[in-house]
Amino acid sequence: MNIQKLNVCMDILKKDLGEGFVASCIITTDDGQVLLASEQANVAEATLLNDATALIRNALKTYPAELGNYYYIDVAGSMAILVIPFGEFQWTVTINKKLVKLGLLLNVVLPAIINAFEDAVVS
Amino acid sequence: MGGSVKKDIKLIIDNEDAENAPSAEAGIKDELQRWPLFGLSVGSFLQVIAMERQTCIMEVYLNSGHFGHFCFVEGQLFDAVCNDLDGETAAMEMIAWENVRLNIKQILNTSSVIRKIDKNLMLLLMESTRRRDEIMNAGEDMDMEDAEDIEALDDVEAVVDDADRAKFDACLNLLSNEMGDALTAATISKIDEDKVLSTYQTTAETARAFLRLTKFMKNAFETRSTVILGDHYVLDLKDRKLLVALIIGEHQWCVVFNSVKCTLGLFRNVIMPKVIRAYNEMNL
Repeated sequence: MNIQKLNVCMDILKKDLGEGFVASCIITTDDGQVLLASEQANVAEATLLNDATALIRNALKTYPAELGNYYYIDVAGSMAILVIPFGEFQWTVTINKKLVKLGLLLNVVLPAIINAFEDAVVS
Repeated sequence: MGGSVKKDIKLIIDNEDAENAPSAEAGIKDELQRWPLFGLSVGSFLQVIAMERQTCIMEVYLNSGHFGHFCFVEGQLFDAVCNDLDGETAAMEMIAWENVRLNIKQILNTSSVIRKIDKNLMLLLMESTRRRDEIMNAGEDMDMEDAEDIEALDDVEAVVDDADRAKFDACLNLLSNEMGDALTAATISKIDEDKVLSTYQTTAETARAFLRLTKFMKNAFETRSTVILGDHYVLDLKDRKLLVALIIGEHQWCVVFNSVKCTLGLFRNVIMPKVIRAYNEMNL
């Protein structure tokens, strides 16, 4: 993994979301350790979402279906959380949903950061 | 379009034995000719008109003191008139009538038609069923007071449960009508009681699995972080599907749909508000 490129991922995210960016954290799914975190990132929240992802995958087995690229959680108040599982890693992004349009987040920002992250992982 | 419906209804008349038909006024041939349709319930006719997106007036005749009409524009119920009543009150009155005679007239010009009924027809039919069940249950309760039979009371609860379940089924039918073939599966569950109330093209096991997930997230957020779970979450699934879990009151709706046929934006901005409105109107 290329750490410099990983930092670039975070920069892209901050730039694309502008004032709507609240916090972000990338963890390893095996042990829940933090790879990279922005200021104000809530590590406890990121690790509990690691457990949530496992639960989602199990729940989907009963349907049956498989989790795709992301899941989005509406949070009471002005926040929302976008979770992007990447196999061994999981990226959690907290946004201000009043300042970020969901369409922009899912159709513009998400593909860009997925590409950047994949580039960082293979480098 | 109007002509084809009329033709179908004519077939019903032709197949019926006119001798057995409920007569408006026995022996008055003119009256029979004015309301030539019979043999189906008011609700069934209303649903046919709505499904066929007809623009017409459906006249209903119970007896010489009770008659009225429903007014449809492109399958949407716009108004109803029954004696001194109009709008939803008149519609609810006439939906409950049985053994009626009917007539259908086309509306050629809809410019003067004023919409007085906003509620979905399905909701009105369900509300009518609920009221009828309430009356029946009240009657059963009276009979059971002397019996003091606990099992019988359980049966009444089951009837009430069934009435509620029918409402939830109606909610999912509404969702299915709105989403068409984009809808892949849906469930409605009661969060606190782990109770699956209605399912569409999926199993109760899946509904329970997502109830566990919602409870986990609710509890985990409350105990391990500073945020509180909001009213929905969205899962991107493989094969271009999305799962949206909606938390409305004490119930959870899980809806799986094809994200090509129905975008998330369409679901959130058009379907979700309609579903929430229908849920609220049903007083669940």
